[in-house]
Amino acid sequence: MSGLESALSLLRQFFPPDLSPSYLKAALVPLYETLEMAAGAILLAIIISLPLALVIGARLPGWRLLRSLLTSVRSIPDLTLAILCVVLIGLGPAAGTVALTVFYTAALGKVFADIFASADPGPIDALHATGARRVMVALYGLLPLRSQDLLTYGGYEFESAVRASVIVGAVGAGGIGTELVGSLNMTDYHRVTTLVIMLVALIAAIDLFVWCVRIQPKLLLLLAVFGAFAAWVNRPHLIALNHAVTTFKSMLPPHLSPEAVREVPALIGQTLFIAFGGTLLAMTFALPLGVAAARNIAPAFISFPVRRLLETLRAIPEVVWGLIFVGVGGLGPPIGILALGLHSTGTLGKLYAESLENVRPEPAMAIAATGGSTIAITSFALLPGAFAPMTVHTLFRLEWNMRAATIVGMIGAGGIGEALFNAQQLFFYDQMLVYVLITWTMIMATDAINTRLRKRWRVIEEQHL
Amino acid sequence: MLAIRDLVVARNHKAPPVLNAISLTVKRGEKVAIVGPSGAGKTTLFRTISGFLPIRSGSITVDAVEVGSLRGKDLRNLRRRVAMISQRHDLVDQLSVHQNVMAGALGRWTTARALRFLAWPTHAELDEARNALSRVDLERKLRSRTSDLSGGEHQRVAIARALVQQPLLLLADEPIASLDPILSGQILSLLCNLAGENGFTLLCSLHQPEAACKYFDRVITIEGGRITLQKHQSRNVGYAEVGD
Repeated sequence: MSGLESALSLLRQFFPPDLSPSYLKAALVPLYETLEMAAGAILLAIIISLPLALVIGARLPGWRLLRSLLTSVRSIPDLTLAILCVVLIGLGPAAGTVALTVFYTAALGKVFADIFASADPGPIDALHATGARRVMVALYGLLPLRSQDLLTYGGYEFESAVRASVIVGAVGAGGIGTELVGSLNMTDYHRVTTLVIMLVALIAAIDLFVWCVRIQPKLLLLLAVFGAFAAWVNRPHLIALNHAVTTFKSMLPPHLSPEAVREVPALIGQTLFIAFGGTLLAMTFALPLGVAAARNIAPAFISFPVRRLLETLRAIPEVVWGLIFVGVGGLGPPIGILALGLHSTGTLGKLYAESLENVRPEPAMAIAATGGSTIAITSFALLPGAFAPMTVHTLFRLEWNMRAATIVGMIGAGGIGEALFNAQQLFFYDQMLVYVLITWTMIMATDAINTRLRKRWRVIEEQHL
Repeated sequence: MLAIRDLVVARNHKAPPVLNAISLTVKRGEKVAIVGPSGAGKTTLFRTISGFLPIRSGSITVDAVEVGSLRGKDLRNLRRRVAMISQRHDLVDQLSVHQNVMAGALGRWTTARALRFLAWPTHAELDEARNALSRVDLERKLRSRTSDLSGGEHQRVAIARALVQQPLLLLADEPIASLDPILSGQILSLLCNLAGENGFTLLCSLHQPEAACKYFDRVITIEGGRITLQKHQSRNVGYAEVGD
């Protein structure tokens, strides 16, 4: 009973949010900085990744090498990149912009290359048949043929970049993430609530913007102008170059003491525990919530609020959940599991609901015709029909959570991420590099296993939110 | 002009051949129809002539150049002179008509010029596109959106693109498969007239033996990857006549 009471009193510390005009005004600055980092980084990432993706898509010389390079950069979690950039460039939004640019160049490069690979072969062959070079086939065929999808996925990635822009702030790369860590350190929980509300509102606004862009693509120009401005404002200064080179030298060669090496298996185990635990927790919550959010099962007065709940859970990144739990005194893998579980409940719940809504209606009608109840229809027609896509989504979530587990580790959930963060805080850069390499290897391995599983089970890759 | 000797082509080294010992000689300026059911190997033959498919044995020479051994720049040079049109799907809907037409010039343009043309076409370039379109009677569609074209217009833009290529040989792969009978006749007579005016050799695959006999100098029947019948036409029908 006292446990419940202490939890409630803890919760009460977060309410009411600090809504004083002076604080709201002050909080707008880091909020704007977050948006600036995301817009600048995504613009730079599009400019760099589009030609790279064309090289891969048009099979120009060196495309295989380039593709494996992008895949391997993609395997470094964004927060790990942010730590590297903060170390090399210094605190502030310049480091955040560089980290996000590198991360999204790799991510968009892969996505764009896949988009080009799925272009209609008819016009492409016809262009080859005119004797055009591969570059020209790319310009006259691949690019115009796939422009619509490039726009759609560019929008998705911008949304995801705003979330990531909050994340990189947690290690001092500027923006609302840095402000959040500051408020938590000063145990100013009312302000933490304010920041989380602002964050949810910002992501909802981005959602709306992306939706508008799909209808009116010219709006994208606004983003380009703002992105160019933001990238210029947050450019790293050349004075930092000397410092960056010296710091980079101190990372080489990567080195770990024998005692530390003996701990590595346990650290990897902890990270795996967080990833699997978080996914399992999310599955447990997401199944009933997904059913309640499916518009073909639940009535509107249930599905509508459940959908808003899932959106809120999804809007708050794992790291922010983690920071809140660490802030109120939690530590170790359980908070990592809880943080991953809450965010993944939001994403999986939405995807489960969509899977249920996409099931062919005929079998459900047949069961309804026998006089079956809603529960009977759900369990005998809809759930079996949605099983395959739900499995795919869950597998993707597990892959995603491998990255997220190393990220929440850095803020105190343990595992390889925590070791990495501690090494950085103590300026043991040669150790830090070892942990970066271990993280990278783990994620490359997970991706490879997942790809093989998907191939064996013949399940199609789908866009994952 | 085109000489094919004992050509054997297969999907891979284990699969049975799609084309089996095809031999065929076509003179400069000749108009040849290739007739046969679906899956007879007509498309495979055309794609092999343009160097898209590997030759298992035998040989193809276009204007005394051996196709099988060509790579890179030499292969592009061959493709410049061998234009190809197919039944559909071969224009880029997102580009406008003049851009699709001038794609036929990509083989002789530099990359920089190709890039510049997308944004700022010159008057001379537009005139060339307009000229090619006037040959297929579509001048008025010069700056139209490609996605707004009808099926027959689509096919005529593809022919205009082939004309811009200034080909020695035009391979038309079932150019009328998705068109109605009247349009089909128009397209076939257009192709044959253009071949006569520009002096290029025309190889055209068709489903309909009647149409083939009506417009072409020679009709070749392919079945199961082999030539089963060849006959020369006594030419008593004017090409300009519209099919029924």
